[in-house]
Amino acid sequence: MSELNSLEKNSVFDSYQVGEHIYDEVFGSVGKSRKHYQKVLNHFGKYSVKDFQKLNESAKVSFFNQGVTFAVYSDNMKGVERIFPFDLFPRIIAFKEWEKLEKGVIQRNIAINLFLHDLYHDKKILKDKVVPAELIFSSAHYNRDMIGIKPPGGIYTHIAGTDLIKHKDGEYYILEDNVRCPSGVSYVLSNREAMKRTLSNLFLSYNVMPVDDYPEQLLEAIQSVAPENVDNPTCVVLSPGMYNSAYYEHTFLAQGMGIPLVEGRDLFVDKNFVYMKTIYGPQRVDVIYRRVDDDFIDPMVFKPESVLGIPGIMTAYRDGNITLLNAPGTGVSDDKAVYSYVPAIIKYYLGEEAILNNVHTYRCEIASDYKYVMENMENLVVKPVDESGGYGIFIGRNSTKKLQEEFKQAITANRRKYIAQPIMSLSTHATFIDEGECFEPRHIDLRTYCLMGKNKQFVLKGGLSRVALKKGSLIVNSSQGGGSKDTWVLEE
Amino acid sequence: MLSRIANSLFWMGRYLERAQHTARFVKVHYYSSLDAPLMLKKEFVLESILSMTGLSIEYKKGHTELVDVDVSKYVAIDESNPFSIKNCISNARENARGAKGLLSSELWEAINKFYHYVNNFSEKDLENQGVANFTENTVEYCSIVNGYIDNTLLHNDTWALIHLGMHIERAGQITRIISSKVKDLAKIEKQKLGVALETYQCITLLKSAEAFDMSRIHYKCVPNFKNTMEFLILNKEFPRSICYNINEINKSLARLGFAKSADKDSLEFFVGKTAAAINYLTIEEIESSIGEFLKETLDQIYFIGTNTEHNYLSY
Repeated sequence: MSELNSLEKNSVFDSYQVGEHIYDEVFGSVGKSRKHYQKVLNHFGKYSVKDFQKLNESAKVSFFNQGVTFAVYSDNMKGVERIFPFDLFPRIIAFKEWEKLEKGVIQRNIAINLFLHDLYHDKKILKDKVVPAELIFSSAHYNRDMIGIKPPGGIYTHIAGTDLIKHKDGEYYILEDNVRCPSGVSYVLSNREAMKRTLSNLFLSYNVMPVDDYPEQLLEAIQSVAPENVDNPTCVVLSPGMYNSAYYEHTFLAQGMGIPLVEGRDLFVDKNFVYMKTIYGPQRVDVIYRRVDDDFIDPMVFKPESVLGIPGIMTAYRDGNITLLNAPGTGVSDDKAVYSYVPAIIKYYLGEEAILNNVHTYRCEIASDYKYVMENMENLVVKPVDESGGYGIFIGRNSTKKLQEEFKQAITANRRKYIAQPIMSLSTHATFIDEGECFEPRHIDLRTYCLMGKNKQFVLKGGLSRVALKKGSLIVNSSQGGGSKDTWVLEE
Repeated sequence: MLSRIANSLFWMGRYLERAQHTARFVKVHYYSSLDAPLMLKKEFVLESILSMTGLSIEYKKGHTELVDVDVSKYVAIDESNPFSIKNCISNARENARGAKGLLSSELWEAINKFYHYVNNFSEKDLENQGVANFTENTVEYCSIVNGYIDNTLLHNDTWALIHLGMHIERAGQITRIISSKVKDLAKIEKQKLGVALETYQCITLLKSAEAFDMSRIHYKCVPNFKNTMEFLILNKEFPRSICYNINEINKSLARLGFAKSADKDSLEFFVGKTAAAINYLTIEEIESSIGEFLKETLDQIYFIGTNTEHNYLSY
């Protein structure tokens, strides 16, 4: 009790109030912290507000000088460089909790790979009517060029970014699967670096699992899927270029793995093999970790106006002369509508129950679901299945009667087009707020990074905890005022 | 190494070196103008700065008068001037960013810090702190970056390409600096301003290449026109002489080994010939026609620069 008392006297946590019906990661209820956070709280208890502001400042300078910035372009041609806001209070995940999470993420991604292989080969799951065929064939991301291609090791989604939230019941739920070109992992490593520089003492009282093995693990995964009969594969990272918002990450990963960072204009295809232009002549390339979207990768097959891609590369891919990570056409499996089938997909291929929860999804085409949606509009989020980027979404909370009616009509007119989900409450976490000069609860989510290679599965022990810095906001995206935290997975 | 990346490294070296020489020239002339003999009007100094940076014509397009604040601003931070120090550093950093995968993070951080310093330096700062402060810091940052280039990189093709760019640029800049001073001296002679001014100009020139102390040690006498020219053009041991830099260009190219053999039509052959010529030149041979000699040398250096890029670094 004495420790709790000292906390209450400490002004930085004084006004901390956990919201109603919300799970707070640090404080169970007012004044009672969770066990694995006790040592951080004791440590922070020694600091004054001024100390925190100083630490904050030095962390910022560290990011700025490292060039860990993203550019915001305005009317001035030169972009203004910003750092991705970073919070000094680490998010801590206890070992037991992580163990389950890791198992769940791997299970999910194994199933997704089997699913993709099936979709581009025998289509058994469609024939067995576990997933409706129309859903797949109508998806913009179903890539007909991939039919019959077997990528090395049978891996499609070598790098997957699975997003999770913790609901008010204290359970993790999958928010979405990102299996195209998930980004953000460089922030995980840079956050850790900044934390070690600014709060080194704090690490001494915990056994935090390292994250800096990610580049090695990634390289191992990349090399494991090289085309057959290539002994010493030349691997590269393909970036759209310096003006891409994730360019820092592309350089970071290439450097971390010690492999070249190339752009489309550095590569060309000759007799169905891929080469890069070097100062000593063309050099053959075997594996490309590409950070360019499907649509742009080959102007001869996809968008003809793309200058980011390499003409003819898909033919080289079909011939098995080059490996692409992730494989083209993976987007069909992280579709919103497919999401609701993932537990069924896991069951179908692995014969197991899903370890991690899906957010319950009502498919309006099913009569009972449709009825429920119509009667509970104010408690639901309604999403069209075939759109992305947050377009056409209806959020029940605080919506007007008029808007509810409009959506009801739209759903009724095309029931297959809509799904609905209960409004999930993201958990909150203590976060240092500059203006308030204290810690306040802010909503967070978690992106995990899962790697798959030939006979290899790896989940980075940590991840990106994104924070919605605006009070009450649930939007964690960096483009809309989101920040991030270092994420600590504790050893047992 | 990718040709595109090699090109970035080469230009990173060139831009860093260009910024450094512009900054040092401005700094030295600014300080020397503070207590210059009366006959050396400020205008004279300003003309000299514009002539060395090759910006005389461009400047006069946008300005009707030669005002020191305007000249400093134009040369140091004007974004409309493609060769202002600010733009050079910004380009150096963009090139470094493109080649970041081959640089040490220490080197990259140093360049990045440098960029943020220059980029955040506003017109107001220039008015408040003066151009001397800005150029002094620029020269210092350049030395820091050069230190990281030499001491944190493998001395392999990455390093050789940066060096190739640097020495080509440095050879060119030194030639321009000498050239502009030779013109100044000719003016002095025309106006019959005397020997004291000749010495004064030679000292300024040597300082512009951070060569004053070393030339004193070397010659053990007050600088005069002849020994100053000899030191800056022909000295084999001073890292900012023309001869030294042409030898370095020769070495960097040999290290990179683009050309397969001693092909007579290769750029390497041309550079080797140029180096041989200057290594066995005496000051007496060129003393009377220094202006002509410098012009020819500058043409050769430009030829080397253009052809390095064209023959080996295009993509």
